[in-house]
Amino acid sequence: MNTHEYQAKEILKKYHIPIPKFGCASSAEQAEKVLSELGIMEAVVKIQVHAGGRGKGGGVKLAKGKEEILKVAKQLIGMKLVNNQTGSKGVIAHQVLITETIDIHKEYYLGAIIDREKARAVLIASPEGGMDIEEVAHKYPDKILTLPIQLNGKMRSYHLIYLAKFMGWKGEMAKEGMKLAANLAKAFMDTDASLLEINPLVETKDHKLLALDAKLSVDDNALFRQKEIERMYDATQVSIYEAEASKHHLAYISLEGNIGCMVNGAGLAMATMDTIHFYGGHPANFLDVGGSASKEVVKEGCKIILSDPSVKAILVNIFGGIMDCAVIAEGVIAAVKELSIKVPLIVRLEGTNVENGKRLLKESNLAIISADGLDDAAKKAVGSLKN
Amino acid sequence: MGILINKKTKVITQGISGKAGSFHTEQGILYGSHYVGGVTPGKGGMEILNLPVFDTVYEAKKKVNPDATLIFVPAPYAAEAILEAEEAQIPLIVCITEGIPIKDMIEVSQVMRSSKTSRLIGPNCPGVITADECKIGIMPGYIHKKGKIGIVSRSGTLTYEAVWQTTLLGLGQTTCVGIGGDPLNGTHFIDVLEMFEKDPETKGILMIGEIGGNAEEMAAEWIAKHGTKPVASFIAGVTAPAGRRMGHAGAIVSGGKGTAEGKIEALKKAGVFVAHTPGEMGIAIKSALGEKK
Repeated sequence: MNTHEYQAKEILKKYHIPIPKFGCASSAEQAEKVLSELGIMEAVVKIQVHAGGRGKGGGVKLAKGKEEILKVAKQLIGMKLVNNQTGSKGVIAHQVLITETIDIHKEYYLGAIIDREKARAVLIASPEGGMDIEEVAHKYPDKILTLPIQLNGKMRSYHLIYLAKFMGWKGEMAKEGMKLAANLAKAFMDTDASLLEINPLVETKDHKLLALDAKLSVDDNALFRQKEIERMYDATQVSIYEAEASKHHLAYISLEGNIGCMVNGAGLAMATMDTIHFYGGHPANFLDVGGSASKEVVKEGCKIILSDPSVKAILVNIFGGIMDCAVIAEGVIAAVKELSIKVPLIVRLEGTNVENGKRLLKESNLAIISADGLDDAAKKAVGSLKN
Repeated sequence: MGILINKKTKVITQGISGKAGSFHTEQGILYGSHYVGGVTPGKGGMEILNLPVFDTVYEAKKKVNPDATLIFVPAPYAAEAILEAEEAQIPLIVCITEGIPIKDMIEVSQVMRSSKTSRLIGPNCPGVITADECKIGIMPGYIHKKGKIGIVSRSGTLTYEAVWQTTLLGLGQTTCVGIGGDPLNGTHFIDVLEMFEKDPETKGILMIGEIGGNAEEMAAEWIAKHGTKPVASFIAGVTAPAGRRMGHAGAIVSGGKGTAEGKIEALKKAGVFVAHTPGEMGIAIKSALGEKK
């Protein structure tokens, strides 16, 4: 689960990580209140969306004087950001973060992620901040330091010394920086984060460290024990279809094409998308109904797919293992009847009780196109759009 | 023969009293697997499916000395269940559970990597099956047919697809191993490739990967160096958008890493037959074996 910058900063604050004064507003009135609370006459106003590239997209603005700041805030609230991270539909900023301006002397990078290969959490640091860390890793691989974080969230003291030397921090700043890194590591482990990033971490003109921007993504699988973070979920930042799907515990991702897909299993769902592409079509979504979907879940899945107006055909691909093909057939038939599906519906069933499943589809006398095998199904789905 | 499990393997189920646990234990027994007991805390002394139930894995170990355990414990408690099985020195631990927090899996991974007694398969996997001998998992038994292909995969239903194709082509399978779709798992492609390499019955290997991580690239490197048997592969997610998690926690392309293209290229370089579509996985391994389509 992704969070907004202001939410990540609120969490960092709890871990005593220094952050420039900030407040969050979703209306002009709130912005005015924030401004008087902060008592600042110059501010940076930043849209709050679950996507990067905000600055380039015009979503971060500097403003001076109360009037101008409020004007900018008003402009940015409700702004739609469209870039390669958001997809063509874009995301809307319902809130802005208003923060004091800082005289920056130098920018650093400090973050934490899970290292899959070594099976542990790691702190990542670079004296080259402000740019995408992957870009730094690519351009200046020797300017990145990776240090292990222990399971209890602690850093080894000597690793913190490496860190200070690597970053070029001396004296008071070294102490401050080591403490900050230790706190970041602790916050990362405590929140079950998959990414916690301060980029940039800035050194001010008077040599203090401040977290200028922050990003926190939390492991979805751990939300059951991260209730406070779970409440930060913002359904407006995903497509309405994704929000609806997550209510039914369906893994759904909107894509740009027009063939709706419903598949059981993530690997098979991806493979189905790939096959559609291979035959010249474009999937409208990724939808994994899970290993043991019921008739109702299949129906809900159909509903979600159909609510996307760009869908011009539906491909259902089920390899019933534990799942009974007859149950899937019943779900599909119920969906067609209830939702009066107008677009071509291609169904490929295989596995447990497939004979019964196919028989049910046939006896329903509905305009369902049956397919044998994955390739046949994809060909028929792509072909149905040409007629 | 085959690898990891055979008809002599004695199996217990952790979480045997749950719906999924009892159902799949029963399915395993019907397949001919040798189940000898189950574990559910608080249900010790009961019998389920005519099998003795124990409160702890330790007790099960003492009484029925299993070779393998099948874990169906819910995600919040699954990591503990794995650690318990390791501590009781069960040689093979197969964890089906999906959705274990990655932080829990860090601890599990560290323990499993230094374990001298146990191997973990999964989590978030369909399990392991040696055709006609032993089924420890949730895969439908009937699609399998005793034969000569070893299958290893990160995905569940896509594995069934591959199994079904090799069955229809008359190739059949030795053992099929689902290593799971999570970013941190107990057994990797290379571990399984090594075992298939040593198994005389396995004549060809079908490896099914997906986007995310670099397990396929590492496997390709291993194949180039050590592999002598024909290998075919399919990588799911060629068309997946970057930065989006495709269902499996491990299936994500980030920072230009873990792309299907990179994996396919690495595998081709290692001499692996890569199927263009998942519908051609069976044909790909048949071609790799040098048999006509």
